Formats: sequence, structure tokens, C-alpha cells
Amino acid sequence: MFPTPIQKAGATTRMLYYIALPVSVVFWLLPLFAVALTSLRSIEDLNRGNFWGWPTKIEFVTNYTAVFTQSPMGQFILNSVIITLPAVAGALALSCMAGYALAKYPFAGNTFVFSVFIAGNFVPFQILMIPVRSLMIDVIPIYDTYWALIIFHIAFQTGFCTLFMRNFIKQLPDALIESGRLEGLGELTIFWHIILPLVRPAIAALAVLVFTFIWNDYFWSLVLVQSDDVRPVTAGLQSLKGMWLASWQLISAGSIVAALPPVAVFFLMQKHFISGLTLGATKG
Amino acid sequence: MADVKLRNVKKRFGDVEIIKGVDLDIADGEFCVFVGPSGCGKSTLLRLVAGLEEISDGSLSIGGREMAHVSPANRGVAMVFQSYALYPHMTVEENISFGLRMARAPRDEIARRVQKASDMLQLGPYLQRKPSQLSGGQRQRVAIGRAVVREPDVFLFDEPLSNLDAALRVQTRIEIGKLHQDLKATMIYVTHDQVEAMTMADKIVVLSAGRIEQVGSPLELYHRPRNQFVAGFIGSPKMNFIPVDARVGEGGAEIRLPGGAALSLPGAADAAGAATLGVRPEHLRLGEAGDARLTAQVKLCERLGAETMLYAVLEGGPEVTVSADGLCRVQPGDRIQIGLDAASCHLFDRGGSTLVNGSLL
Repeated sequence: MFPTPIQKAGATTRMLYYIALPVSVVFWLLPLFAVALTSLRSIEDLNRGNFWGWPTKIEFVTNYTAVFTQSPMGQFILNSVIITLPAVAGALALSCMAGYALAKYPFAGNTFVFSVFIAGNFVPFQILMIPVRSLMIDVIPIYDTYWALIIFHIAFQTGFCTLFMRNFIKQLPDALIESGRLEGLGELTIFWHIILPLVRPAIAALAVLVFTFIWNDYFWSLVLVQSDDVRPVTAGLQSLKGMWLASWQLISAGSIVAALPPVAVFFLMQKHFISGLTLGATKG
Repeated sequence: MADVKLRNVKKRFGDVEIIKGVDLDIADGEFCVFVGPSGCGKSTLLRLVAGLEEISDGSLSIGGREMAHVSPANRGVAMVFQSYALYPHMTVEENISFGLRMARAPRDEIARRVQKASDMLQLGPYLQRKPSQLSGGQRQRVAIGRAVVREPDVFLFDEPLSNLDAALRVQTRIEIGKLHQDLKATMIYVTHDQVEAMTMADKIVVLSAGRIEQVGSPLELYHRPRNQFVAGFIGSPKMNFIPVDARVGEGGAEIRLPGGAALSLPGAADAAGAATLGVRPEHLRLGEAGDARLTAQVKLCERLGAETMLYAVLEGGPEVTVSADGLCRVQPGDRIQIGLDAASCHLFDRGGSTLVNGSLL
């Protein structure tokens, strides 16, 4: 077995591993911990340069309320929700249907369309910046509205999601679909009643992934949106920078608030990740 | 009426012809088994009848109606798959009633049919379980129940017992036999296991490489195979094939066996030159009695209790299998005398076609 499992490795290797592992975990979590700690500091602490020591005062309530009172953070979070939820729903709906078609219908050009989906994933999104912006201003005039980000994210995320769903649906036994056809079920009925319940774990996993991608997206929030009443939270954090000084404690608190929803979504969707849903459908 | 007629049915996948012109009549209420080695096209033929594949050429009719452009759901067929194909997220009851519910059948009608299927297949205790909570045999009964509830004209079984263990296979085989007696429906059953074919069928269709080799009742195929392929396929253990020299003599063929013995087979008018003698292991006996004798050296003994399989080599090289009594004392290395009768021998020409069949039946 390669690499050698750690229980079987030599004593020196094991010792190095047991030392290196906690050290790397600490390093990994340090930035997160630092941000969390900073969000609890008062401004005096930061001015004094006390970045790593214990805060002189725990300003939890002050800082976190200030985030909401001193900037339109509530509006930004609402904007993020208004953009992310429809985009996730749209991307999942389209990719389920496209993935099913690519996986189970042998139409002419199936492989070609599939390879276009795969190839599209390799396009660096930065090069799309100007074309998409021009599209949103000139062709479909939705620049600086919710629709700009919703439609863009649906289009962009569907690429990856279709690839994922197609591979997942491909593993479902053909006999299930044929059995449905023999029973007189229409294609849509088969899709809705047989395929979708069986791909629930995949949809749940994708929902979390896509939610996280779209919620945390910073680039397109900058490119496609100008006004505060449409701006999502990622781009909106800058408004916490303050006129004369950078209020790091507020920015940290705002970042933590902005980062919480994807984590919440992950925990909510966990029970849908149950694998082995197709146990018992067919032999083995 | 649910008779099935196939006329010159062909199926091509791209350039490859899988089914090469099949003509077949299956009467209403008959239990017909398609049997053959892997890759012979039996499952493809079944899927053509079901409508899951389109016929490239020829015609198929069920109950007198031409089926070439009829969708699978409207053909009056129901299929039981090798892999059961149960919907894993539904209970047994929901699985069985799913098609009827989607077709918006009246609720009491659905309940009646589900109850009837459940009684017939003893599914009562499992109705609220999911497929993952059932054993293989139980899942297969649910799959059969799902087919029964459709009240189809023709039942199609695609190797339904292949995934069951040996004991369960026998039990489920008997249940399917009883089902056929109860429902008196036309059933087409695909298997590669010739024991299943022999025990269940009214009519067996032996397929090889997309063509029908022979159609007939089990005993007819056993005693009067039309060619060497059918002779070797039907019957377990397999028939012995011994290369011999044949000559036309008075009253039939004169055969020279390995070791020099002569055998006279009545009936073969055109036997000449190299031929193959076929005789089943159960028709060979140890000892001197019989129309002809062979001498052989035993290489291997398999003691099954009820019988002993002796694998021996004749003088000159050909190997034979003899089914001897369970208590026989022969050991590997012994020289034995094998007796055979003309009535149980078949003769095949160089191309594999039958020249003479045995006359036991």
C-alpha cells in the first residue's frame, strides 16, 4: 500500500508525523483565529499594536453591532441572499436536467456537448471579465441589478455542476429507467420520481459547494455591480474601511459575519449526504 | 389472446448484426425459454419483444397486433430484470403500485391488485420495507410482484435467478412455475442455465450467435438434438463427443470406435468419413454389457453421492465422462470397460449437423 499507513511506518516517521500534524493544524487555523480574535478587540488595542496578545477588553457586542449600524451590512447580506439562493436553485435545476440528458440519452453529439462542458471548466474566469460586462451593459441591459449576478452565476456554475451530475447519474442502473418505461411512465415522470430522489446526495453536496462559491464570490460582485443597494456582502465589506482609518476590528467582525452562512448551509445539508442511497435497488 | 410471433426479426447495432433473422411462434399461455451461451443474443431478443430496443428488420406481433411502432408501455408486457430494478427510495408497496398510481388508476383497484400480488408471492410481511432491507430472494419476488400487478399479456423474465444462491434458485424456480400455473399467462424466460430451461419450459429455444439452433420441448431437445451445438448445450453433464470413422453399411452407418470396436447405427444413409459420435455420460455404463465396448483409463473421480463422475481417456486420446453409480469403487488410474448401446448414440457429420439421433424417446 502506498503511501505506507502511518500506523505501519517506522518510529521516527511516526514521531515526526505526530509533531508535524498539530503544528500544521495550528498554522492553518492561525489566520482564522487571528481574524476572530481581532474582531473582539477594541480600537485602542489595535492602535497600540497589540495584535497577538489577549485583548484588553472583549468588545464582542460593540464590534458586532457596529458592523450593522455603521455600514449597510444588513442590506449587503440581504443582497447576497437574494443573489445566491436563486442562482443555486437555477444552477442545480439546469445541471440536473442537462446531466440526466448527457448521462442517459444517447443522442448524436452527446460526447461533443459533454466535452464542451468539460473544456469550459478550464477557461480562466478572469478573461471573461470584459466580455461579460459588455454583455450585461449592451446586449441584455441588466448591469448593476440582481439579475446580472444571478444569471451570470447560474450560467457559470452550471458548467461544473452538469459535469458532476452527469457522472453521478451515469452510475444509476439503466434497468431502473427501463423498468419505468415499461410501466408506462413518461420521461419527465421518470426524471422527477425516480432519478431525482436517487441523486439527492449529489444535489446536497453540490448545493453546499455552489452556495459557497457564489456567496464568497468577490470578483464578479465588483465587476457587475456598482450601487450599494445591489452589492453583495463580499464586495460590501470594503465600506467598513472607514473614512480616516482602517477599522480592522470591524472588518474582521464583518468578515466573520459574511463567512457564517456557507458554514450554516453545510451543517444543514449534512444529513442529505448519506451515501448508499441506492443500496437495494439492484443486486450488490 | 397473447401469442407472440416473430418473423425474420433482425437487429443491428451499427454495422454488427446481433440477431440474424429469427422466426418463432409462441402460443398463448406457453412458457417459452430462450437459452444459449453468453453473447448469443437471447437478452437482446427479449428486449426486442419488450420494446426496449427497436427491431431493425422483420415483424413482431403480440396477440395479433403488429408491435414495431408500439411503445413498451402499450405492448401489454411486463418485465422482470436480472438486477431486480426496484426503486430504492420507495417501500415494497410503493414499488409495486407505482406504475398504477402514475397512471391514475382508481385507489381501490390499486389496492386490490397489490393485495392479490402480495398474496400470490407472500409479500405481506414486507410491504412497508425498503428494498435495502430485503434479501435477494425477497427482492426478486417484489420485482415479480411489480410485473404481476400490471396484469400483462406476456411476462418477460431476463435471467431473474442469476443473482440468487443455489438453494434460493431452486425455490424461486418452483415459485415461478406455480405462478405460471396460476396465471396461465404467456411467459418468455431468458437464461444461460440449461437446467432452468429443462425444468421450467414448455418450449425451449436454443440460440447461438443470433440464430435459432433448435426449438422444441425439453425432452425433444434432449433426445433429438438437431446439431452438435444443441446436443452439447442441453444436458448436464455435457454429452461426450468421440471422433469416429463412419461408413455406409447395410441398414445404416457402420462406426469404427477408438480401440477398434464396431458399432452399427440404423438410419444414417449418408454417413461417410470422419464423423462425431455423441453419447451422454448417463447412457454409458461400466462393464461389458452393450452393443459396443470402449476401454479407457480413469483420470479423475468426482463422488457426488448419488452418482460418481468418472473422467477417463480412451485409447487414441479422446476424453469421455461416465456417470457411474454413487457407490462404485473405481479409482483414478484404473482401466475400465465402458459399454454403450446404439439406441442412445447420436451421429454428427463434419459440419456438426445430426445424421442420426438416438431412439430412446
